[in-house]
Amino acid sequence: MELQIVRHRLQYHIERRISSMSENTGLAPPRCPPIRLTREKVSGFKIRVNNLSGQHLDACYQCGNCSSGCPLAQEMDILPNRVMRLVQIGQKDDIIHSETLWICASCFQCTVRCPKGIDIQAVMDTLRQIALEEGVDHFGPDQINPEQAAEVPQPGLVGVYRKLST
Amino acid sequence: MAKVAYYPGCALKERSSHLDRSARDATKILGFELDELDSWTCCGAVPPVSKERVMNLIASSRVLKSVRDSGRETLITICDFCYNTLKRTNFSIRNDEIARKRVNAFLIDDTPEREYIEKDTSSWQDYTGEVNVVHLMEYLRDIVGYEKITENLKRSLKGLNIAAYYGCVMLRPYDEIQLDDPENPSIIEDFIRALEAEPVKYPYRTECCGSYLSVSSPDASTRLCYRILNSARENGADALVISCPLCFYNLDSRQKAIIEAYPDFKPVPILYFTQLLSVALGVEYGRQGFEKHYVDVTPILDRINSSSGNGGE
Repeated sequence: MELQIVRHRLQYHIERRISSMSENTGLAPPRCPPIRLTREKVSGFKIRVNNLSGQHLDACYQCGNCSSGCPLAQEMDILPNRVMRLVQIGQKDDIIHSETLWICASCFQCTVRCPKGIDIQAVMDTLRQIALEEGVDHFGPDQINPEQAAEVPQPGLVGVYRKLST
Repeated sequence: MAKVAYYPGCALKERSSHLDRSARDATKILGFELDELDSWTCCGAVPPVSKERVMNLIASSRVLKSVRDSGRETLITICDFCYNTLKRTNFSIRNDEIARKRVNAFLIDDTPEREYIEKDTSSWQDYTGEVNVVHLMEYLRDIVGYEKITENLKRSLKGLNIAAYYGCVMLRPYDEIQLDDPENPSIIEDFIRALEAEPVKYPYRTECCGSYLSVSSPDASTRLCYRILNSARENGADALVISCPLCFYNLDSRQKAIIEAYPDFKPVPILYFTQLLSVALGVEYGRQGFEKHYVDVTPILDRINSSSGNGGE
């Protein structure tokens, strides 16, 4: 008896929701302009990333394990799992102009934890490479603090320039 | 005395020379010598992750090939970055046929030649990944054995609570490194136990310290290091033991910035595992390069002296 009442109520709510949606289309504005996906745009960029990184990006099912394990997630503007999704739908511009690529410290935590076995670090490195090809140079030799340059061990200096500049 | 091929890498030659010297001292006492390669170049510091960048494998494979050509099979490194780069390069050459061909095609072109003599390539042998790249910690565990370290102890570290810090590139990516479990490692904890000290477990021991971000985004690195050091301190650590020169810079010198940002922070001494080892094996303190540390390590050293009867300067 109770079950039936619950079912009725549920049905009532769903119907109200559907009718309000059809009546008031566009009442709640979308948080970002709609993305127009074209076949060339989607598959071109994704295939390029797949080929360069040797990974299969369609395997990602957005579990979010990479973002939850990422020690630098709080510094990022686009979380790693969202980067994966943006690659899947070919949003190249959003990715190469994001801070995430330059905040990632290549610590391989995401790679180790991905349940689908995607080497996310390789994807990040590929995206950095594509961004650098487009001329988005993040950290040039003139930006370093000279005091620090005299102190940081060489792996840090070589690493930062190999990852963040052309 | 047995000699093992040794690749120090750039940081150990200059800014982290105390890591190099303490390692040489300790290994001599344990009965083998680190035999530095006659000539070596930079390994490249970060391994090429994306498949297209085969050129980035060249520097490391040149080093590896020179070890193979000198008839040796094992190459010891201490710096975690060198270890990661050399080992992953070796892995790519072993398993990726295209990378192997391209690297060798470049290396054969690279051999010195004189214009008037036609190049002699009859003795050429492709490098196919014959060398085993081994971390000194791995060598101590698998070849020397922790029992031998315990037998040779001159100073006892009993009563010291030491936290191990693994960092990122020593353990990951697991498919290629296979040193220890990437999520729950125990190699440094076992090492600390072999020195009769008490290992401290804390949640952030495999978390990244910010690596090269300390150059490009120092504030992010400060936050990460604060989290790691504070967690170790709260779990009762007297000192942190590490093996990577860059971790050392981030965790030791960065404590200056951490104290400015977080007034409640109490400094934690940082030691290289080789320093702890050679101290325990009886090498005098003056040879350890403690003057290079930002955080004073004397509180730890005082406790070592007082807790052992036979040690001391």
